[in-house]
Amino acid sequence: MTTFLFYFFAILTVVAAAGVIAARSPMYSAMSLVGTFFCLAAIYALLLAHTIAVLQVLVYAGAIMVLFLFVIMLLSLGEAVGPAKVTFPRVVGGIASAVLFAFLVVAARPFVPVGAQPPPSFGTLQSIGAQLYTQWLAPFEAVSLRVLVARVGAVVVAKSRV
Amino acid sequence: MLTLPTLTSTDFLPLWPALILSAGACLVLLSEVFLSSASRSFQPLLTVIATVLGALVAAATVFSVPTGVFGGFVVLDPFGSLVSLVICIGVGLSALLAPAFLRGRQAERGEFYALLLFGGAGMSLLVLSNELIFLFINLEILSIATYALAAYLRRGPRPAEAGFKYFILGAFSSAVLLYGAALLFGATRSTLLPQMGAELARIFTDPTLSDRQPLAYCGLALIGAGFGFKIAAVPFHMWTPDVYEGAPTPVTAMMSAAVKAAAFAAMVRVFLVLGRGIPGDALLTGFSTLAFLTMIGGNLLALPQRNVKRMLAYSSISHAGYLLVGVASLFVKSGTTKGGVLGVTALAAGATPDTAGALRGILFYLLAYTVTTVGAFGVLGALERRDDEVRGFAWDLDRLAGLAQRKPAWAVAMAVFMLSLGGIPPMAGFMGKLLIFRSAVDAGLVGLVIVGVLTSAVGAYYYLRVVVYMYMRPAPEAGGLPERNLSTELALVLSTVAVVVLGVLPGITGTWLSRGGSVFLGR
Amino acid sequence: MTPDALAPYLPLLAVLVLAGGLGAIVSVMSALLGPKRPSAVKSTIFEAGSEPSPGSARQRFAVKFYVVALLFIVFDIETVFLYPWAVNFKALGWFGYGEMAVFAVTLVIGLAYVWKKGALDWES
Repeated sequence: MTTFLFYFFAILTVVAAAGVIAARSPMYSAMSLVGTFFCLAAIYALLLAHTIAVLQVLVYAGAIMVLFLFVIMLLSLGEAVGPAKVTFPRVVGGIASAVLFAFLVVAARPFVPVGAQPPPSFGTLQSIGAQLYTQWLAPFEAVSLRVLVARVGAVVVAKSRV
Repeated sequence: MLTLPTLTSTDFLPLWPALILSAGACLVLLSEVFLSSASRSFQPLLTVIATVLGALVAAATVFSVPTGVFGGFVVLDPFGSLVSLVICIGVGLSALLAPAFLRGRQAERGEFYALLLFGGAGMSLLVLSNELIFLFINLEILSIATYALAAYLRRGPRPAEAGFKYFILGAFSSAVLLYGAALLFGATRSTLLPQMGAELARIFTDPTLSDRQPLAYCGLALIGAGFGFKIAAVPFHMWTPDVYEGAPTPVTAMMSAAVKAAAFAAMVRVFLVLGRGIPGDALLTGFSTLAFLTMIGGNLLALPQRNVKRMLAYSSISHAGYLLVGVASLFVKSGTTKGGVLGVTALAAGATPDTAGALRGILFYLLAYTVTTVGAFGVLGALERRDDEVRGFAWDLDRLAGLAQRKPAWAVAMAVFMLSLGGIPPMAGFMGKLLIFRSAVDAGLVGLVIVGVLTSAVGAYYYLRVVVYMYMRPAPEAGGLPERNLSTELALVLSTVAVVVLGVLPGITGTWLSRGGSVFLGR
Repeated sequence: MTPDALAPYLPLLAVLVLAGGLGAIVSVMSALLGPKRPSAVKSTIFEAGSEPSPGSARQRFAVKFYVVALLFIVFDIETVFLYPWAVNFKALGWFGYGEMAVFAVTLVIGLAYVWKKGALDWES
């Protein structure tokens, strides 16, 4: 059952992700991205990463997508015209991606599900909090600094009249 | 029940520079919005005070015993303390260059200094990170601050392009690095660098774990590529000239001095700790190839530039190449004779590669390059005029013509910086190159050093061309002189003195830098 | 993996099936059963009682929406960190309180900056 669900969502993720880059209109791309986010959340849930699954929907499919749509509206992008051009950087990028993909296929092949049973608290908000605020103290406080910088940066870039 | 970590004052010891810099940034930020008086001239002063204090506390921890704090996430070691010191110097000197520059463009606002300090705090944390997630967050702190600074002035197409390009490529490189970190986590099941190093050693010795080797190689390669973008190594350098040219000149100074030093130090730490478990010459091959391409590419691309700011951007690439020679020599294993792009000459019998010596060379080079490049961009920033920026010849060589008659002191300073960048004695850049190349020869990387010396000779041509223009070309008729500014001149004097003193008396850093050779490697 | 590990998601599935099914059933039923008598008035564009606004729906947004959206995300991410703390509040005790105080102080500094800067000010 889990395997079936995994393949179902995995194929859906790939299809939606392909839709993001194939769609002619940026709005359709953004909507495909929402689909990708939801399918990824389902895969996280299958991995028992419950909190991550919820945050994926809350933050990515919710907040980040809103920003994407704002930017699309802000730039009032139309549909792309004409066929996609084959340029040198695109060819190089395509080759690099293909090589990386081939390597990853080789690298990930030996990994089979170990079938280990995680404790029932695995992936819950409580167990994440118990780790985050004790062992992962330093990164947690660094995040507060990072968020502060992001906020100042956003105001400087978007609000400045210089 | 949870076991709460106990924090002592030792835990905070390495963090003090970053804490001081971020406290200073918060003060500047709040003073910008809460003080209603028009005068903002105290802000650069506050910034410089914060960097000086940060530098002092960083210096005070150089002789502490290396140890891991915060559960091993942060390290206290001389290498990290010394790079923190270099970062504080770089950020402080860049902040000194900013007031005159910003005043000339009516852009004096506290956010600029706050972002400089936030970036400095992120850099200082980055070089102390001993865990990949913490490292990534700190890398993002410094990157976001730098993106915003690069886009600080967006008048005209060039600065806008610079900010945008830097952001897109920077975000892309961060993603590549993060992807590599995730793959490496998959292979080693840990994100603490020392544990990952130990696990990698098991993966490469235990035959039952050998199926994880491809994943480990993929992860290491992607992390290397991510860092390659940050340090602007060929072939990941494409963004550098456009971004360096388009960003405000004090920001360019900060990027080429402090950001580069921080990214280099973090890269050295990651690969040094992880690389202990990796047999063979994979890392040596990778880094010597990068060094070879970067030295040749950076110097050849700098050669035809008439735009001095762009030339300095390519020069910054080529200096990353010389530093990479030092990094490559860290990974020569005793007894190997092949590996690397140009091979390794066999070491004398019984000799072991001098890792501490190579680290010392890298540290000295970072310090020397930081003071030199800030000074060079400082002169350039003081000479450029706003109305020329859009047309793109604000930094043309002609702008420097006859500077020796118009501003003799500035011409001397610029000449000192150019000689130092060109690696000509008795300047700091020469000593830096000498130390790096010596440790590389000791490690057996003779072929790479020969390439380094040859490309340095190429580099001397375009650095000396600047000197020739300053001293042997007549000054243009309508060459208006920039206003005198105390803080700019202070920065130029300080960096000139530092370049000369470090070049003539490199021994004054001796005991400090020998300490810096000891890196905390963990259990 | 045991099937009951995913049992908490069953209500979610039930809601999805119910909502999707109900929507499908209603539209199919109305298409099948509803009378169809089109007229000119019925097929004009209807927009909340008023005259339809002319032109494309893809209008350009003002940049201030963007600033607000960006700040919203930043605050959103900060609140995410409050949940794991809240469920462990008792166990973490004063130590956790101190940690969160440091986190919250940086948040407040940021908020004070953004507020006084006028980035939340709609009219400027």
